[in-house]
Amino acid sequence: MRFVRKTDYAQDVDLFQHNGQRFWYGLLALVVLLAPLALDRFYLGELALVYIYAIAGIGLMLLVGYTGQVSLGHAAFLAIGAYTHAYLLNHGWPLPLALVAATGLTAVVGGIVAIPALRMTGIYLAVATLAFAVIVEQVLTHWVSVTGGFRGMAVPKAEFLVDLSGAGAFYYLCLGSLVVSLLAALNWLRSPTGRALVAVRDSETSAQSMGIHLAYTKGLAFAISAAFTGLAGGLFAHKITYLAPDGFTLIMSIQLLLMVVVGGLGSMHGVIFGAIFIGLLPQGIAIFRDSVPPTIAQIPGLEPGIFGLILVLFLIYEPLGIYGRWCKIRLFFEEFPLYRKATYKKQKSYLRTERLR
Amino acid sequence: MSLLVADNIAVSFGGVKAVQDVSFTVNVGEVFSIVGPNGAGKTTIFNLISRIYDVDHGSIVFDGIDITKVPTHAIAELGIARTFQNTELFEQETVLKNMLIGCHIHRTSHLISELFFLPSVKRQELEMRRAVEEVIDLLDLQSYRDNVIGELPYGVRKMVEVARALCLRPKLLLLDEPSSGLNPEETEDLSFWLEDINEELGITVIMVEHDMNLVTQASDRILAMADGRTITIGEPEAVQNHPEVLRAYLGD
Repeated sequence: MRFVRKTDYAQDVDLFQHNGQRFWYGLLALVVLLAPLALDRFYLGELALVYIYAIAGIGLMLLVGYTGQVSLGHAAFLAIGAYTHAYLLNHGWPLPLALVAATGLTAVVGGIVAIPALRMTGIYLAVATLAFAVIVEQVLTHWVSVTGGFRGMAVPKAEFLVDLSGAGAFYYLCLGSLVVSLLAALNWLRSPTGRALVAVRDSETSAQSMGIHLAYTKGLAFAISAAFTGLAGGLFAHKITYLAPDGFTLIMSIQLLLMVVVGGLGSMHGVIFGAIFIGLLPQGIAIFRDSVPPTIAQIPGLEPGIFGLILVLFLIYEPLGIYGRWCKIRLFFEEFPLYRKATYKKQKSYLRTERLR
Repeated sequence: MSLLVADNIAVSFGGVKAVQDVSFTVNVGEVFSIVGPNGAGKTTIFNLISRIYDVDHGSIVFDGIDITKVPTHAIAELGIARTFQNTELFEQETVLKNMLIGCHIHRTSHLISELFFLPSVKRQELEMRRAVEEVIDLLDLQSYRDNVIGELPYGVRKMVEVARALCLRPKLLLLDEPSSGLNPEETEDLSFWLEDINEELGITVIMVEHDMNLVTQASDRILAMADGRTITIGEPEAVQNHPEVLRAYLGD
């Protein structure tokens, strides 16, 4: 068991609490930086996809895990980012500028979506964001002059100064974007406005009497969440090389939500775990299809079915997600012979003030 | 000098007249208590002051400003902090984080500087951290600093809520039944802390409370209410022996 002796307030503010963390994260950084030397094209591509999912996951986690607002429409933000990025590249914009513009535009759309969504919570919000996603899907299909409609739109090769479309170069582009996104999100969460998100999630009444502007905070959460997802969309466009409306359906939204729930709501570790899980899941399902008789393997809708099943199982048996399980395992070894089974048992919650709404 | 003047305030929910034409004045530096049987409208008055409800008519003037039209989130910036009857803490966060959220109104950073965590933001964080530590020292919460609220006993939660309210550095502190759920020793401690808060920090306190010992010990003046109406306002002894107050509590 580690006890951190704090001698300075800066230790609470810093990203790394102690040298152990510095060592392990340093090692992790070394591993991901050197990965292209050891892995072949296919696995590098898969890993880049995991990073892209993680960037979108950061956005969704800020909204769902930290602010407590459900969204079933994040595929739409991903689509807006992807299409904007591809459109601007096709019109000759340099890659970084197009990526920033895609991020910015998605943030603006996110902010606008937030205006009606602010009045809703829970299931109503989920349905409203779902409706938004359907609208965006229709726009993608019918605004032929910009999106190419059903035919879709080719994404130009990723290049800026040098060619970034090779497996290794693209891997580093995604890795760099992920690191920047992660740092921005963590910085935000250790600052006043970021903490306000958590306040809104846990008690709106109380947040208000602490001087937190509910509408502004939720709107900001939507916009920032959309921004991260838009950035992921831009990179995703390069990954899939050809954009069509059927790439951004409800299944995608559910997959993104699945990622943050399975990873573990309310932690950035959860995003990474969830992204790895979602990235590997299609491979897992492919292996599953091969190993069962064709009558089962060819059931239509098998994939969304499995997604749904996993989501339900996690909600019942491990609401804290993979990260929660990881914490438990770590605690088990830290306290080795003394681990108490009831440590994580749900406590009876005390009565709370009647909702003042 | 008066800090808060409530003039003829009233609010009703459907047919229920929760507060009817109540007027009172709270002076700077005072501990002002509101007592009354259940359903008297005590907490409703708190919710009117902290702008969770709108008044039907009447005015509440705080520090020279009529706050009946001020948006809810702006109340804290004017210098009013409150606690809740059954605690409304941010359950999944640590005591420290709860209190840091209490410092929200003192921030000078904005989104961009926060995303990059510029040196100015870091300085501000350290400053907030130091301010929080002062409140922790005052209320003896050192040993709970890193505990998540969900795992704390009720009595401690009540104190954390007071601590969080103090982080706002308010001029006026509204305490909604601070001693409910506390054992006798904790209530005793509370009355000392109340004195510290009032005298050392110079914070004016309005308190809704049922524990008459605590009320008479701590408060300068008392407002007694029943069924949304004022019975009497005055010094603790006078209110305690007021025939109408006795009738409201004990019946005829």
